[in-house]
Amino acid sequence: MIKRTAIVTNRLGLHARPAALLVTTATKFESQFFISKDSIRVNGKSIMGVMMLAAEMGTELILEVDGPDEIEAMAEILKIIESGFEEST
Amino acid sequence: MADITVEKLTESRKQDLDLTLLTTNSDGLKKIINNPELHRPGLALTGFYERFASKRVQILGETEATYLSQLSEDRLKKISRKMFDYGLPLVIITKGIAPPAGFIEAADLSGTCVFSSKLTTAELTTKLSAYLDHLFAPSIMVHGSLMDVYGVGLLYTGKSGIGKSEIALDLVERGHRLVADDVVKITRAAPDVLLGNSSELLGHHMEIRGIGIIDIEELFGIRAIRLQKRIEVEVNLTLWSETEEYERLGLEDKKTKVLGVEIPIVRVPISPGKNITVISEVIAMNHMQKVYGENAALEFTKKLSQTLSRQSVTKDYLESDFE
Repeated sequence: MIKRTAIVTNRLGLHARPAALLVTTATKFESQFFISKDSIRVNGKSIMGVMMLAAEMGTELILEVDGPDEIEAMAEILKIIESGFEEST
Repeated sequence: MADITVEKLTESRKQDLDLTLLTTNSDGLKKIINNPELHRPGLALTGFYERFASKRVQILGETEATYLSQLSEDRLKKISRKMFDYGLPLVIITKGIAPPAGFIEAADLSGTCVFSSKLTTAELTTKLSAYLDHLFAPSIMVHGSLMDVYGVGLLYTGKSGIGKSEIALDLVERGHRLVADDVVKITRAAPDVLLGNSSELLGHHMEIRGIGIIDIEELFGIRAIRLQKRIEVEVNLTLWSETEEYERLGLEDKKTKVLGVEIPIVRVPISPGKNITVISEVIAMNHMQKVYGENAALEFTKKLSQTLSRQSVTKDYLESDFE
């Protein structure tokens, strides 16, 4: 199991489109993926769960990836979050 | 666990508990309540402070109020100051009784709120306890779907993409009710009762692969939803596997623990063409039957054993018959 933290950097926060991007990326991997914000922990492969976090810009997320392809999965997930979900601002 | 400020508690319960603020120092409104229990400080007022539960909300009834009112001004001041020095979170006086001025002065001095409630001590204790118990009840978020099927709360769990939402949708179509999809908030409402509901933001929305986000209440109407439901059985969905062994008799109830509460768990293997909706309805009806004292698996095996023993009696009779 790998555990990392990441900060939401895009202006609009983790809204519908970034959530969808994050979930589709995570779903490509076999490993389980959980995201936590404060005391709420949700399945990172569930779009409703990820959106429920309502993580605005500057929020610290705790990412947990567990499974056979956890290293690759974590790298991809971190890349997406750190790039601000490929949004211009 | 959610701590609550005095301000939030008294604002939200103002009407229900019929509260009026008696103190003027607003610092007390910011105090935090972090204990669901209540305390009546009778002995503390007489000067006995050993085991004084000062972290709890203090309830003063008619007895305490009468005791305070017959004290000399000096004694009242001394006693009140000593009690408020413990840093009480909140004091409520019942039956709409106004305490002596010296008591309120001491409260204001220490920055503690004193409220008066028109309810009797028994009514106030019951209502406030129920509210605080619910607020401080342990809770978790679970990835799954919660459905009311024939009045039985079925919690569907299983890997992402296994089809929990699709089953829920199918059940809604057949007249059952959705409580929450994807994220279920579970609260231990009583030592053996689990309550499930949806998060405020998600409500009765659902994501269906290939379609996107839909609103069940909008699409199917009010009959298709429910705000809260006791969770009675967990239905764990797994992909059907050749090597796995599945329950064939159902003689023993498999149990699982959620927040320390034991509930039956049914593991259902999924394979293409399998109608999980009907299986769900059967799980619900089977559970109800067990609640009413009927156990189909047990009854059937009893019948089988009877048939077997009867057969051997007949066989013995025929074998030992030399007529």
